[in-house]
Amino acid sequence: MVDERGRIEEIRDFGGRYVCIKVRAETIAAEAKPGNFVMTRPVGATDPLLRRPFGILKASGPHIWLYFQILGKGTAALASLKPGEEMDILGPLGNGFPEHQQQNILLIAGGRGIVPLFFYAERFAGANSIHLIYGGRGKSDLNLLAEIRSLPLKNMFLFSEEGTLGKRGIATQEVEEIIGDQHIGITFSCGPVPMLRRLAGMLHPLPTVDLVSLEAFMGCGFGACHSCVVKTFSGSYRRVCVDGPVFSLGDIAWSI
Amino acid sequence: MVDLTADLGWAKLKNPVITASGAFGYGEEFLPFFDLDILGALVLKGIYLHPREGNPPPRLCETPSGLLNSIGLPGIGADKLKETIRRLTERTRTPIIVNICGEEDREFLEVARVFDEMAEVSALELNISCPNVREGGKCPAQDRRHTYRLVRRIKRNIRKPLLVKLTPNVADLSSIALSAEDAGADALSLVNTFLGLAVDLESRRSVFANFFAGLSGPAIKPLALKLVWDVLRHVRIPVIGIGGVVSGKDVLDYLLVGASAVQIGTVNFSEPAAAVRIISELEEEMEKLHINNLTEIRGKLQT
Repeated sequence: MVDERGRIEEIRDFGGRYVCIKVRAETIAAEAKPGNFVMTRPVGATDPLLRRPFGILKASGPHIWLYFQILGKGTAALASLKPGEEMDILGPLGNGFPEHQQQNILLIAGGRGIVPLFFYAERFAGANSIHLIYGGRGKSDLNLLAEIRSLPLKNMFLFSEEGTLGKRGIATQEVEEIIGDQHIGITFSCGPVPMLRRLAGMLHPLPTVDLVSLEAFMGCGFGACHSCVVKTFSGSYRRVCVDGPVFSLGDIAWSI
Repeated sequence: MVDLTADLGWAKLKNPVITASGAFGYGEEFLPFFDLDILGALVLKGIYLHPREGNPPPRLCETPSGLLNSIGLPGIGADKLKETIRRLTERTRTPIIVNICGEEDREFLEVARVFDEMAEVSALELNISCPNVREGGKCPAQDRRHTYRLVRRIKRNIRKPLLVKLTPNVADLSSIALSAEDAGADALSLVNTFLGLAVDLESRRSVFANFFAGLSGPAIKPLALKLVWDVLRHVRIPVIGIGGVVSGKDVLDYLLVGASAVQIGTVNFSEPAAAVRIISELEEEMEKLHINNLTEIRGKLQT
């Protein structure tokens, strides 16, 4: 884990307020594992006060790629940076996904939840048998398709609520059938809370091992501020930044 | 070479930069970022006798140049903190100050006794000012008599120096500060967060489950600086300034109004090695202003 100054090499605007930044951050790139995240801001920026957490989309050589949606001041400031400009990047942070798996894996991504799952697929497809469900509201939420299609995935199942891409519907609607048909042993999911809550209910009776990567508003990203907590069924709060962001799907109490 | 030694009477710190309770975890979280030996001292996250879960999320809300928090003092409890402190002292020789919490006077005393007995601990800081534990932000430091009674009781039962951290959410902070001094406090930590409110227009509720929250960060610096100035008209014990310190200049500002040291809080979240930068900026700033040591500037504000 380091606080590195990264130089932006490329910013790609996908429309729909989705942006992908390629940044040179050698140490973080070398250490990054699928499911890790970073805390970033334009160099020295103090407005907003806090850095923003982003999952790592990909790490290769001295570079990492971040893919995010512009939602407010912090993300807008990062998206407005130009190649050659720098950002403060703290990372890699969080526990990440377990690496090599013998069983068939199903990745379930909703919208920008594709980020940590893409990184997993990019690193382990081929070595592991990986299937992907990718869902979003419409075509504009389902970017990165060219990149995903270049990976040796077993299958990709596309869903859009508006019906503009893939099947009309939501990411979770065929999960049980896909798990049965493809002999899935493990699921990794990431996406909006309603999707994850539904998924937790559907997967609970099945024998699959289910992990989820959570998103949270964070103060520090390294366990000091205790703000990004999520409630578990044991009744205790866990910090998304250091106890996660990857948790066992069945452990999360979704009522909050 | 400037001399950064900060004299608190009962201790001489190598510099006036102390990390603030609640904003520096249990110290260990920051080991990957810098050598803690560079700090004047460090104050650990507030501790109760037993582990606590803290408040329901959301626990943070950013405001212009500020941060509202309603963390609610989750913690590992006194036993685990003792182990943490032992591990920490293998990694740093910087003085460790334990921030003491309690649901009631008896618990404050019990926790204070536990850490008074630890040789690894340099001083205790009594946290009678957290706004996020009780409804409406109430705390002992809002009452002059309660402050006196509690500080006196604890001071009689411990040997280590006692800092008392006070809340700005009172009509007359100086009178509370005087009560703490009269009761035997060795120093005052001024100030804890300012009570604030953030609302959600859709739900028409407070953003926070506990309704009010505590404001910190650069937004509160002028307010805290003024309170440090006010209180120092009345007390003789050293005051440690807290509130929006993010630069070497901010440290000097607090010294100029009379503070003996400062604590840095919110900035540690966005910049984990902020202390390193702030101490080096302080040195540069002093050289630029031809200040050789802290006594040359401390309390020298012209009126």
